[in-house]
Amino acid sequence: MIDMEYEIKVPVEPPTELKSYFIPIPPEYVEETYRSDDFLVLVGPQHPGSGHMRLIVRVHGDIIREVIPDPGYVHRCVEKVAENRLYIQNIPLVERPSIMDSANLNLGYVRVIEEALDIEVPERARYIRTILAELCRIGTHLYDAAILSVFMGHTTGFMYAFGVRELICEALVRMTGARFTCSFIIPGGVRRNVGSDVLRFIYDMTFEMEKRLKTFEKIFIKNPTVIARLKDVGVLTKEEAIKFGVVGPFLRASGVEYDVRKVEPYEVYDELDWDIPVSDDGDGYSRFLVRVNEISQSINIIRQCVRRIPGGRVISDQICEDGRSIRGHFFDSLANIVLPAGEYTTLTECARGTVVFTIVSDGESNVPYRFRMVTPGWLYLRGFMESLKGERLADLQAIYGSFGYFPPEADR
Amino acid sequence: MIKISKVEPSVSDRIKGHLNAITTAFVQALKPDRITVEYPRERRRYPDNFRGILIFDKDRCVSCFRCAQICPANAIKMEFYDNYYPSVDYAKCIFCHFCVESCPTGALRSSKVHDVAFKSLDDMYIHTNSMMSIPEIVREEEIEVEYEIEDGKLKLRREVVEKLEVDYERRRLILKKELSSLEVPPPIPVRKRAYCKDPESCLGCRICASVCPRNAIKYDRKKRIMSIDIEKCVGCGFCVRHCPMEILDLKVM
Amino acid sequence: MSLFEIFVSNMMNIPIIKPLIDYLMGVPVIRFIVALILWRPFFAIAIAPGLGALGLYLLWIVYFERKLTARVQWRVGPLEVCRPIRGLIQALADGIRFFFQEVIVHREAHRPYYVQLPILAFIPVLIPIMFIPAGNVVGIKSDYAIQLIVAFLALISITIVVIGWASNSRFAFVGSVREAFMYFAYEVPFVIAVISMIFLYGSGNPYVAVEKQTIPGVFLNPIAFIVYLIAMLMATSRLPFEIPEADQEIAFGPFVEYSGILFGLVMTLAYEKLYIMALLFTILFLGGWSGPYIWIIGDLSHVLWLLLKTVVTISIIVIVRSIYARYRLDQALKLGWSSMLGLSLVGLVLGVGVGWFV
Repeated sequence: MIDMEYEIKVPVEPPTELKSYFIPIPPEYVEETYRSDDFLVLVGPQHPGSGHMRLIVRVHGDIIREVIPDPGYVHRCVEKVAENRLYIQNIPLVERPSIMDSANLNLGYVRVIEEALDIEVPERARYIRTILAELCRIGTHLYDAAILSVFMGHTTGFMYAFGVRELICEALVRMTGARFTCSFIIPGGVRRNVGSDVLRFIYDMTFEMEKRLKTFEKIFIKNPTVIARLKDVGVLTKEEAIKFGVVGPFLRASGVEYDVRKVEPYEVYDELDWDIPVSDDGDGYSRFLVRVNEISQSINIIRQCVRRIPGGRVISDQICEDGRSIRGHFFDSLANIVLPAGEYTTLTECARGTVVFTIVSDGESNVPYRFRMVTPGWLYLRGFMESLKGERLADLQAIYGSFGYFPPEADR
Repeated sequence: MIKISKVEPSVSDRIKGHLNAITTAFVQALKPDRITVEYPRERRRYPDNFRGILIFDKDRCVSCFRCAQICPANAIKMEFYDNYYPSVDYAKCIFCHFCVESCPTGALRSSKVHDVAFKSLDDMYIHTNSMMSIPEIVREEEIEVEYEIEDGKLKLRREVVEKLEVDYERRRLILKKELSSLEVPPPIPVRKRAYCKDPESCLGCRICASVCPRNAIKYDRKKRIMSIDIEKCVGCGFCVRHCPMEILDLKVM
Repeated sequence: MSLFEIFVSNMMNIPIIKPLIDYLMGVPVIRFIVALILWRPFFAIAIAPGLGALGLYLLWIVYFERKLTARVQWRVGPLEVCRPIRGLIQALADGIRFFFQEVIVHREAHRPYYVQLPILAFIPVLIPIMFIPAGNVVGIKSDYAIQLIVAFLALISITIVVIGWASNSRFAFVGSVREAFMYFAYEVPFVIAVISMIFLYGSGNPYVAVEKQTIPGVFLNPIAFIVYLIAMLMATSRLPFEIPEADQEIAFGPFVEYSGILFGLVMTLAYEKLYIMALLFTILFLGGWSGPYIWIIGDLSHVLWLLLKTVVTISIIVIVRSIYARYRLDQALKLGWSSMLGLSLVGLVLGVGVGWFV
């Protein structure tokens, strides 16, 4: 038998709108797609289920062959803008990419400056910073759970998650004055002391939050339709996750035990008693469950911090003599700090993964020479795209929600 | 490390899941756990450290320019009135309140007002002469809500706001009294004065004397040093920033 | 017999307004109009349970769905339109707003079908109303009423598929294909469930069906009840089977390009289908219009009981919306072709068996 190869020429013309210049795929790719009987779906920025980014999905019938992301829709040049501002003025700037996670980003940036200037942070300030970081971590997990539920059509889950998050915002208002983007952490400590009635409110609020999360669990997390949508969808094995550079809870859901807070502890994480949840199957449901367990671990950390917090100063004496509040001394102590020449890097565990901050200073200017910030969204984008191959078109939204991809954070 | 095991729902688990979800929805439909605040007829009560729009007190300001220099968004510019005072562009302001923290005398302070509406973009630039007076605020709420945790349960405590003298003609509450319940108490000013850390290194360039807006630094011929008049000095810090030898500093007196 | 005598011979009997009607029948010109309005077939088709009830139902269900869903979701729902009555006329305000919006017909659309189909889609919705009785108030009495209703309901899905085709857009195409798949999945179990009830009662005449329900049909054939309920969710694209109109995945499916009053019309299409199916459900399973006879309103008491039971059914369907997420297409198809088909066949056997005794 002679095997003959037949070339099937599909006489299909690709649609004209895909050939215009603003879509970043070469025309040869478009032709090749349509000749091999596939279909290009543009899940673009103006789509109820795409967030702020464009995804170019190559679909064969209902099965996704490949997804090409087009990030950069919300790119705001944070790194370049930071080169023109004082070190202290960059604090609100680096918080803004991921606004519900602002304390973790704020903390990472401030830790670089403290490492460069060798500033010792007082004990009470470290506890307050940890409480802030954990509150923002819970807020981000709830936000992503809400987006996941709305992508699957479950509007009740969305409302419940945001209703619980309202308690977090109330706690942040009482502590710092703003609902999110607190800008509360400065080199040397925090801006102001936190009263004991606020700490009492935070402690009581954790119990109320757990009660509402129980209702959320019954109606969303254990809902059979949700389990059916998320199980065995978008699987990333352990080797694939490591190869594609996935970070954060998505790496832990694929079986790798890595958390920056345990590997290189900062603030008071090594003095407290907590654990990291890990799962072995890397499907969408286990990614979601890892984050749900992280919420309860964070509540545990907050309760321990509130019980153990010591008294004392909240601002280091290298920055300011008045240890209770920086009011009145902010400009004189912090405006003109100059980092010694060199390159300084820290790793911080944001809610969605590891964030890398680097500052290169030339030793003389009071603005950074080069500022580099790599957010977790950018790091796991590749793993997210790889996990979409071979799934159905309707799973795009489910996997998107289970990863909790947030384009403003990834694009900066 | 907490291991999350694989979830394999059996048929009975699935039926239980369905029943749980359905009963939760029915229970919530009968007795909801609502936390809605029906704004604007009700309003949340904010704590004292809330970051709202800025209130400026002209008598305390020393024109030190610190607020304009620290603002991350370049929203504050100093304009001339009888001396230089700040004007705020609310199109740019991000309410971070670095300016409030930088002000040494407490001239800029926060308020609990955050929901301001302007009719055009030009209106959003509040010039200095408008900053001098307390802004006009119209409120229509009757009830103030506060989240409270009592016995482990979240309760919304609703209190009727005391209405002080409503002016029905112009439909607004009388200003000063109303704002006093919305504004944050002013801070105690930090009085700082300039002093020379290291008189030996002084070059005698007299830059400090020429930049001082209050003429508080004079050359003392007898002792042959620059002397700072503590009564006239307000702690604005210009001399500190301009001294080429960096030997001037501010100290709390 | 003149027209007037035909009308008078089949007039509605409402004791509470009988004095007024007697007085008006004496007035020369108005008595024709009054006789026409109170002629039983006209009353059934135009007022209740026909067009009038349908219009009121549409106004009510939008508001009720939003309020009930909001209550489950820790919210309040629409409140602002008319503050003293807590937003009751929200649906009316929305409908009037649609009249003021521009209807955009884009260049690539197939213009005749695009514009006319939302209006023509009302025909298979309104014809079944003629056959649904409420006591003596009925449009057309027929021995095959239930079969006719089921047959006309099947036409609505075809209009949705053609609407998606006429829009000529990427997402509308995907939505139409999904609607076609879902239509096949639910139609077979649905028809088998209805047939099993017809076997149980022995005829397709709604009067026979209600007469034989000394115990409601729910207990006579619970399996057909469950199959019908799930088929009702699938047929009207309600969660958890909101697959052709998935808002987040394919940007509203076949209806993506509609705006203005045409959008208002296509939105009400699913609700009207729900109304007809709920009326049929009440007649087959809940005992139709049977209930304590309220003498004072005469014929209207049957109508009232029928509409009340329909409202209860629809409330249950509405609350399911806030409980479940959306299934994927292949999971819904698997459900339809394996579990539901098996259950409906069991229901058929049960229906034939119980039909011997009833």
